[in-house]
Amino acid sequence: MTPTRKRRLIAVLLILAGVGVASTIAFYSLQENLLYFQSPSELAQQPIPPGRQFRLGGLVKPGSVERQGQSLTTHFVVTDGPEEVTVEYVGTLPDLFREGQGVIARGALDDSGRFAATEVLAKHDENYMPPEVADALEESGHLMTEGKGGG
Amino acid sequence: MSHTPFIIGAYSIGAIVLLWCAFAPLLRKKSITRDIRRLVQVEERSRDTNT
Amino acid sequence: MNVETAKTNKPRKNAFVMFIHKMGSPPWFYNFTGKFIPWFWAIFIVLTVWGLYLGLVKAPADYLQGESFRILYIHVPAAWMSLLIYISMAIMAFIALVWRIRIVEILAMTSAPIGAAFTIVTLAAGSLWGRPTWGTYWVWDARLTSELVLLFIYLGIIGLYNAIDEPRKAARAACLLALVGAVNLPIIHYSVKWWNTLHQGSSISLMGGSSIDTSMLWPLLIMAVATKFYYGANLLTRARVKLLEQDIRKAWVREVLKEKNG
Repeated sequence: MTPTRKRRLIAVLLILAGVGVASTIAFYSLQENLLYFQSPSELAQQPIPPGRQFRLGGLVKPGSVERQGQSLTTHFVVTDGPEEVTVEYVGTLPDLFREGQGVIARGALDDSGRFAATEVLAKHDENYMPPEVADALEESGHLMTEGKGGG
Repeated sequence: MSHTPFIIGAYSIGAIVLLWCAFAPLLRKKSITRDIRRLVQVEERSRDTNT
Repeated sequence: MNVETAKTNKPRKNAFVMFIHKMGSPPWFYNFTGKFIPWFWAIFIVLTVWGLYLGLVKAPADYLQGESFRILYIHVPAAWMSLLIYISMAIMAFIALVWRIRIVEILAMTSAPIGAAFTIVTLAAGSLWGRPTWGTYWVWDARLTSELVLLFIYLGIIGLYNAIDEPRKAARAACLLALVGAVNLPIIHYSVKWWNTLHQGSSISLMGGSSIDTSMLWPLLIMAVATKFYYGANLLTRARVKLLEQDIRKAWVREVLKEKNG
């Protein structure tokens, strides 16, 4: 390699190293803001005061969904295993909202510790399969999602 | 909610963007070829007047 | 071709180095790549028709998402290409900066618009997939935001390249920007692991098993190969046009065009 090429190579590598260090620092300082949602366990560890807006994410606890008569009000429990939070939501739920599936709700806690959601999004996982396969898996007890049909 | 409009929408946007991306350089080539031809003509003309 | 090496008494170069040297000559590159482009387009079209037929007609609907999951067959290959083209562009940008090979500069720079196109397709198709499944067109989670940043980086590279009049200077500046922008790549890829995102994790992994049924996987793989040929054909087409444009006053360009017109 000629000296000029070596010099250029070193210059380019130095710039890259600088950018790398700078972005790593930026990355660590921004880490917290990049969390799109809090899980019930994270909420239990670091409580968020009532009235402050945040996003709550977890699975809809099977059997916890209650629709209140004719109104659009729905109650359900969001869980991540160890911890759970009750959510109240007024409005239409997304198609993929079902028991056992992931969900992200935006809103705030009220004074009683219940989460009043203003928006509910369905979060799905990375599994794709035909319905027959899903049925077979469910029968053999391998599929964790327990909600079927609905929506 | 019917999913068909979303599927059609996604594929048509994909088709439009990728087709445009494929044809843009061909249009550019056409205009460059035209420029070159004009350049050659100008050069030939100036050579003719010089001799 | 061997006359030159024999004259300067250098050790005989191996076939690969010879090939690299030949590729560096504009007329040779122009004629050599011209032979491949129609084949690349043909393979792309055949694979796309086959892949879309399997994906849109043959593959079963998803157990949870129903028909909307079929958007996967354009969204995922486009997303892979948006990253892969950036990787290829960044490698070429690095070579261009250190070795200053003009063809490589051109190839790096003509990759950017193709990468931007795939990023736009990724974002648009993903957004249209998000509405029926998540319940929203857009959220500012880490995966979606970093992919949008990728689009802006591509546009920045294209903009910088076009903003400087002297083409080689422009290429050098834009290549440096391309290299710096590469820090975004691991962020996009690992965003779904590092942070809580609305976007789900990867279904396909090179190392472990894939969490996608075989009947649904094949069309995806076919589309993934098809898009590589699209990139190849489009990149070579763009690079040849760029060469013509930059060498507009050179003799080889006239000859090439004269030959073509008979």
